[in-house]
Amino acid sequence: MFKKFFTLMLVTIIYSLVSANEPQVIYPFEDSVHEERFLSLLNELRCPKCQGSNLAGSNAPIANDLKREVYELVKSGKTEEEVKTYLIDRYGNFIVYDPPFRPDTYALWLGPLFIFLLTLSIILVILLTRFSNSKRNQ
Amino acid sequence: MKRVLNSVPLVAFGILVVVLYSFLNHENEQLESVLVDQSVPEFKLPSLENPNNILSKSSVNKLPALINVWATWCIACRVEHPFLMQLKNESTLTVYGLNYKDDRNKALDLLENDGNPFEFSIFDQQGKLAIDLGVYGAPETFFVDKKGIIRERHVGALTQKVWKEKFERLLNEDTDV
Repeated sequence: MFKKFFTLMLVTIIYSLVSANEPQVIYPFEDSVHEERFLSLLNELRCPKCQGSNLAGSNAPIANDLKREVYELVKSGKTEEEVKTYLIDRYGNFIVYDPPFRPDTYALWLGPLFIFLLTLSIILVILLTRFSNSKRNQ
Repeated sequence: MKRVLNSVPLVAFGILVVVLYSFLNHENEQLESVLVDQSVPEFKLPSLENPNNILSKSSVNKLPALINVWATWCIACRVEHPFLMQLKNESTLTVYGLNYKDDRNKALDLLENDGNPFEFSIFDQQGKLAIDLGVYGAPETFFVDKKGIIRERHVGALTQKVWKEKFERLLNEDTDV
C-alpha cells in the first residue's frame, strides 16, 4: 500500500518537473552550438511580465515573443553578448538579472554584507562574554 | 547586559518581518524604461484600418504625440479608453495606437462601438515593434515630443491622475518652446 502510494507520488513529482519545463513551441536548430547558446540564454534571461521566472520557465505571451526573438537572433549568428545587449537596450538591466548599483539598490548590494557583519559582531560579543565568564568562574 | 543580548535575535527578526512585509505591498512595480530619451524605433507594419497601408516611423509625424499600446483582450485598456477619447477631443496632442497581438476584426469592432481616439493604429500582431519599445504588458503609453524623442512611459491604465503626474508637464514644455 505504502509502496504504491510512494510510487504514485514520485511519478507525480517527476512529471510535474518535466512538464513545467516542456517547451510549447519547437525551435529547430541546424547548428548544435547555436542550440546550446539558445537554451542557456533562455535560462539566463528573465521574463519581464512574470518577474520571478526566467524565459525558459515562463509561458506568458511576452516570454514566448522574446523566446522567438532570441531564437531568430541566435539563428542569425549573434553571440550571447550581442543577444543580451539587444535585450538590455530594450528592457534594461532587469532582463539579465543584473541590477545596477545606485541609491535604490544599495540595500540589495550592501544588505548581505551588513547582515554578515551584524552576525559576526553578535557572535563575537557572545563568545567574548562566555570567555570572560568562564575566566571569572575559574 | 545578558538580557539585552538575548533580545537581539528577536528584535532583528522583528525588523526583518517589518521590512519584508513592507515589500509585499510593492506590487505592480514599474520597470525602468531604457527608451526614455531615445528616438522612436524604426518599424514597418500595416495599419489596423487598412492591411495594405504600410506604416513606418515617418508616419508618426503629428507631434507631440502619445503612442498607446492597446488590445481588445486587455481589460485595463477599456478602463483608459474614455480618457483617451477625452484627450483626443480636448487636447492638442495626437494619440497614435499600437494594436498589440490582437485580432484585426475584434479591434475594428471595438473602435467602431466605443469610439476611436487614435489618429491611426499600427497593427502589430507579432509584437515586433512592441519588443523594440520594451513593452511587457498592455496598456502602455509613451510620450513622444516634437523632435520624435520618447520622453516618458507609463505601464498600466492612463487615468486623469497619471496624466497630471507624468505627462501634462511634458506637453506644456513642448508647446511653450
